[in-house]
Amino acid sequence: MITLTICLMACIIFLSRYGFLEPRLPITLNAATLRFLSYSAPAVLTAIWGPIVFVSEHELNLNWQNHYLVCAVFAIVLAITTRNTLLTTIVSMMLFFGLRAWYM
Amino acid sequence: MSLPLIDDLKHTPSQRWFKGALAVLPLSIAVIPWGILAGSLALDAGLNPLESQAMSAIVFAGAAQLVAVGMIKAGVGLGSILITTLLITSRHFLYSMAMRPNISPLPLKWRLTLGFLLTDELFAILAAGKQSKNKPQSFDRWYALGVGLSFYLVWNMATLVGIIAGSQIPNLDSWGLDFAIAATFIAIVTPQINRPSILICVLVSLVASVVCELFQVPSGLLIAAIMGMTVGTLYAKATGEKP
Repeated sequence: MITLTICLMACIIFLSRYGFLEPRLPITLNAATLRFLSYSAPAVLTAIWGPIVFVSEHELNLNWQNHYLVCAVFAIVLAITTRNTLLTTIVSMMLFFGLRAWYM
Repeated sequence: MSLPLIDDLKHTPSQRWFKGALAVLPLSIAVIPWGILAGSLALDAGLNPLESQAMSAIVFAGAAQLVAVGMIKAGVGLGSILITTLLITSRHFLYSMAMRPNISPLPLKWRLTLGFLLTDELFAILAAGKQSKNKPQSFDRWYALGVGLSFYLVWNMATLVGIIAGSQIPNLDSWGLDFAIAATFIAIVTPQINRPSILICVLVSLVASVVCELFQVPSGLLIAAIMGMTVGTLYAKATGEKP
């Protein structure tokens, strides 16, 4: 039963990832669709990081003691000023874990 | 409107592979505790070690795995597990559609491999590369493989650690390693905001995702993303903004 569950889950997930990559699938993406899809990366990635930063324990946390929020603001400022993805990620993570260690 | 395929020919495939592996490294590190958790929770839910590893090796989808394992433990039926899987995985339809111009012209073995490896993380890194100023719309298959495969290997090794160490590692989810995900995605998204419509798209998606999370709306991520994309597109159309 567990083997069957794993195999069926694998099928569903693979099809969702591969489906639109199949060239024989009879769809052509017109300019309007491609334009719409060009917003997918910023939209999806923001929808992933938003709740991590603003929600703790099912509640909105806009407190300045929310290290996620403080460090996210710092990361945004750093990303605007440096335009360097790796640097922004590493320095803001250092700040985050530094703050956590300090306030533990 | 088809995008050109540009492979970086100045470097060897292995150099491009490692460049990809390096680009995804912060996300690979961030995923380690979740991989460990996926392994130990699978064991805890009654899967044997081989099944627990197979979950990461052939399903390879963090959120879906963790939720499914919880449902297996709770004795939920197969149908409900599969419907939940479909809801969680539905954002991948969006990724494969967005990557269609780049990946669908590749040979079958590349399509199958990159398709299998198409996670949030691979999509994020490729989207960041597509926006780079010096090589607009570039797509390098070896770089993409480096991102996807290195991430896959880390996920599976972390799962193995979770299976072996089991419940000996305390409170993994309270370490705050999810901030690494937020930091990386902020670092990728922020430089992409170069037009008003993208700013609006991001703000709508942000507010909607937080509201969905607060009300625990199922598939909130996908709903929020599509709202952001729709409002951004409509704004661009209404103002005649140039892409």
